[in-house]
Amino acid sequence: MSAGTVVFIILAGAVLAVLLYLVVTYNALVALKNQIKNAWSQIEVQLKRRHDLIPNLVEVAKGYMAHERQTLENVTRARAQASGAKTVPDISRAETALSGALGQFLAVVENYPDLKANQNFLALQEELTSTENRIAFSRQAYNDQVLFMNNKVEMFPSNIVAGMFHFRKGQFFELEEQSERTAPRVSFG
Amino acid sequence: MFWSVIAANRRKTVLLIVLMGLLLVLSGGMIGMAFTDVYHPLAGLIGAALAGAVWIAMLLMSLFASDTILLGLSRAHEIDQRIYPQLFNVVEEMVIAGSLPAMPRIFVVDDPAPNAFAMGKSPEKSCICVTAGLLAMCTRDELQGVVAHEISHILNRDVLYMTVAATMLGSILLLSDVFARSFRYSSTVRLASRSRRAGGRAAGPLLIVSLVLAVIGPILARVLYFSISRRREYLADATSARLTRYPEGLASALQKIGESTDTLTSAPSATAPFYIVNPYRRHLDNSAFATHPPLKERIRILRAMSRGAGYLDYFRAYVEVTHRRKKLLPASELRGEGRVEIREGGQASDPVQPARSESARRSGDIIRALNGFAFITCSCGLKIKLPPEYREGRFVCPRCKRAHPVNRPDGKTVGSVLSASAVMSRQASAGGKEPRNRGGREGRDEPVTREVRYLPGTWQKITCTGCGHAYEVSPRFRARRLTCSGCGATIRLTPVHEPDDRSSGVPA
Repeated sequence: MSAGTVVFIILAGAVLAVLLYLVVTYNALVALKNQIKNAWSQIEVQLKRRHDLIPNLVEVAKGYMAHERQTLENVTRARAQASGAKTVPDISRAETALSGALGQFLAVVENYPDLKANQNFLALQEELTSTENRIAFSRQAYNDQVLFMNNKVEMFPSNIVAGMFHFRKGQFFELEEQSERTAPRVSFG
Repeated sequence: MFWSVIAANRRKTVLLIVLMGLLLVLSGGMIGMAFTDVYHPLAGLIGAALAGAVWIAMLLMSLFASDTILLGLSRAHEIDQRIYPQLFNVVEEMVIAGSLPAMPRIFVVDDPAPNAFAMGKSPEKSCICVTAGLLAMCTRDELQGVVAHEISHILNRDVLYMTVAATMLGSILLLSDVFARSFRYSSTVRLASRSRRAGGRAAGPLLIVSLVLAVIGPILARVLYFSISRRREYLADATSARLTRYPEGLASALQKIGESTDTLTSAPSATAPFYIVNPYRRHLDNSAFATHPPLKERIRILRAMSRGAGYLDYFRAYVEVTHRRKKLLPASELRGEGRVEIREGGQASDPVQPARSESARRSGDIIRALNGFAFITCSCGLKIKLPPEYREGRFVCPRCKRAHPVNRPDGKTVGSVLSASAVMSRQASAGGKEPRNRGGREGRDEPVTREVRYLPGTWQKITCTGCGHAYEVSPRFRARRLTCSGCGATIRLTPVHEPDDRSSGVPA
């Protein structure tokens, strides 16, 4: 075997390895992108679920909370805004407002023992808790995927492949931090 | 989910199937030779072939019917959202958190010992099973921790491996049992025939070998099978903490489970590794047979996760508590793992933890509902539970003699009855009992509302302004609303305090 053949074989092997890496990384990136899309649709499903739940909740609470018209209106208004939002930052903002309104509502409910004992309300409250959890968990799963994607897009050497095929970084879906800021404060004066 | 764990599980599943198959065929051949009492290769071959057939049957069974069989062995009932919404919701939340491709089927075992397990051959087809005892003693957070632990077994394909291992182990045990019987049988035959023929001599050494194999085989299989499940438990705990972002939930659930004195009666020994804590833990805790790490250690690791709920935090706590060097996972799995915050505990719909007896009663009701009991809540406050054997169309309340029509549950009513029972008992414990509407239907629309003022704390006569129906109200009556049994209207009671009564007591 001449030296030329050896060099050729080594070169061919190297090119093949690079190509293989390219294919694997590209496929992984596509899979990640689709996973992110899937995770986002899961969030949307859960947000929709929350929007559907709110009219029922308000309906049940209305009979008991005649004096809390303002609180209930806030919830309804926040819901209307949230279901109209389109872009990710808009949705983030509107849902944060809705979370705040709901939190305030649940804090007020504490003053109405009759309402708290109502069995329809109890069932709705379990649904609401579960929905809030689902939103949190689907957001968590989505953000995990986005983090993973962003790492791939930014880290060497997968960033070269990502740059070649125009893979972009994902956008995190933030909710909790802001809702904590707007959480109702209860004072005992 | 960890790819290295999943790959390892797949690899080990195949290895286990092959190894167990070899062991089975070998011992089958030995048994065949021992049984026929003559050293003849054909007899051994037949034995081996039979064992191979058993092995294939077991394999097919473990892949396609194991969940049915094991659930049947544990006497589990499937539930849906209407029967126990909270459990269903908690499972679905964890499915979302773990991005599981499909919702697992949910089962409840009628057993007072708190425990849970998961099974199934893939994340698409899985089951989660919890006992009534667990439902009775856990808060929502704790239940979530336990369910997340089971979900992570599904995610890491632990259940596939465990299912295959359990069936394989079962087949080995079965075979050695057959051997023990056949040996007893053939040895008596041989004793009788030995004086006449000398044929049995050649089988002597072989017999010893096969005997050793038949004795050692099952023990070996068992040690192998039990020792591998411990690392999985740690990993599942870590995943549970990360999915729920709340390690304390699982920790306090494990503590409650550990403090419970009930032992599971419905678990066959081969299914032990499936459970969240070993159902037979009292006998073996630190030995080679232990399927689970010691409960106390698991709790201490979870509670040591003070900085966050991520895998890195769990592994740091693991090293701190156990002082073990060996890593639970290769470092490459955790690349890019960010900081994971712990969330706050306490979930809104978690009512003030009900008394132990009451939550036990509730989970008992779930089991009754699954078994086709009919529930009637009488207006006198008595809750009537009729077994499916009761065939009459009506039932007379033993306390107040009201007659009720008996409607067999169709799931929907069961769910509402169960949540109603929770409300009722809470009201009862608060001291006030609200007279209930007889039919239950009219109350929902609340057609007329009437305001009546009354003085709380004394014997009072209240008259419905609509139909003139009069009520005597005791001083202990605290409710604000009352449904008139005469006209069905809702009477809203406004408490009044007599002004002169108060002012006279206050010095000027």
